[in-house]
Amino acid sequence: MQEKVQTILVDVLHIPALQVRDSLAMKEVETWDSMRHMELVASIEQTFGIELTMDEIVSMISVGDIKRVLRGRGLEG
Amino acid sequence: MELRNKKVIVTGGVSGLGRSMVELFLSKGAAVTVFDLNAQGLDQLAQTHPTVVGFQCDLSDYDQVAATTARFHERFGAADVLVNNAGIIYSAPLVCLSPAGIVRHDVAMWRKVLDADLSSVFYTTLCVIEKMIATRTRGVVVNISSVSAAGNVGQSAYSAAKAGVNALTATWAKELGMMGIRVAAVAPGYSETGSTKSALSEPVLKEIVKRVPLRRLGKPEEIAQAVVAVVENDFFTGKVFEVDGGLVV
Ligand SMILES: NC(=O)c1ccc[n+]([C@@H]2O[C@H](COP(=O)([O-])OP(=O)(O)OC[C@H]3O[C@@H](n4cnc5c(N)ncnc54)[C@H](O)[C@@H]3O)[C@@H](O)[C@H]2O)c1
Repeated sequence: MQEKVQTILVDVLHIPALQVRDSLAMKEVETWDSMRHMELVASIEQTFGIELTMDEIVSMISVGDIKRVLRGRGLEG
Repeated sequence: MELRNKKVIVTGGVSGLGRSMVELFLSKGAAVTVFDLNAQGLDQLAQTHPTVVGFQCDLSDYDQVAATTARFHERFGAADVLVNNAGIIYSAPLVCLSPAGIVRHDVAMWRKVLDADLSSVFYTTLCVIEKMIATRTRGVVVNISSVSAAGNVGQSAYSAAKAGVNALTATWAKELGMMGIRVAAVAPGYSETGSTKSALSEPVLKEIVKRVPLRRLGKPEEIAQAVVAVVENDFFTGKVFEVDGGLVV
C-alpha cells in the first residue's frame, strides 16, 4: 500500500519521491490544492478499488493521514 | 444512468421544453422535482402529475436558490440529476436605428438575461453539486444551452449567456469527472414553445424555418429525448448535444 500511495502522490502532486514522508502535510506542498486533492481521491479510489467517505476525504491532510485512512479500510503493507 | 427511482430536478419545468422533460422523466420512473418561478403553474403541474414536487423559486437570486436547494436536500437528500433548463429568451440588437434615432440595447435587460440564463445555472449547480459530492453521488447535470451560443444576430445577451453556459459545461465536466459526476449540455434549435412564439413574429419564424434543413421547428419531446439520452449514456460528458434540425445560426 505504501509504495502505491507514494506513486500516486508523485504522479498527482508532481513532487520527487524522496519528498514523500508521513509528516508531509497538504499545507506544505504548493501543488496540493483543493483541485489536486480531488485528483488524489480519485486516484486512490481507482488504485485500491474503494470509495472514500466525505469524512475520510476531509481528514486526509497529510501523507500519514492518507495511510491511516487506508489502513482503516484494511489495506496493509 | 438507469432512471428508475432516481431523483431528478428540472428547473423551469412548468412549461415549454422543461414540461416535456418532466413528462419523459416521469415515464422512465424517475422521481421529479421542479424549481420554477411560476407558483400557479407549479400548482397546475401538481394537479396533472401528483407525484411531481414543486418548489417556487427565482433562480436568478442566489439566496432563493440556496434556500430552495436546502429544502430539497432536507426532504430528499442528494439529487441524482439536475437539468438547468429555466431561462428567458430575449432578443434585441446592440444598437438599432429607429425613427427616433439610435437606440441602445437596454442595460437592465442585459443584466436580467445574464442573471436568468447564466447566473441561475451557476447558482443551482453550485448548491446541488455540493450535496452530490458530500454524499459521493455519481450524478449528472444537463444544461440547456441554445444554438444561439454561436452568436446570433439580435441576441447579444442571450447568445452571451448561452455561450457562458457552454463554457461552464466544459469546465465542470473537467473538474467533476474525477468524482464520477457528468456535466453536459443540450442545445435546442428553434422549438415549438410559447416562448418562441412570443419572442418571434410569424413572418420571422417562417424565415427561420426556411433556413432549417429539416424545414420545421423542433418538438419539445425531441429536446426532452436528447436530455434523457445524455443522462442515460454514461460516457457522455463535457459536450454540447445540438438538436436543431441541422440549423446553423
Ligand atoms: N424554445 C426554444 O425554441 C428554445 C431554443 C433554444 C433554447 N431554449 C432554452 O430552453 C429553455 C426552456 O425554454 P422554453 O422555450 O421552454 O421557455 P418557457 O418560457 O416555455 O419555459 C421556461 C420556464 O422557466 C421558468 N423560469 C424562467 N425564469 C425563471 C427564473 N428566474 N427562476 C425560475 N424559473 C424561471 C418559467 O417560469 C418557465 O416555466 C431555456 O433555457 C431556453 O433558453 C429554448
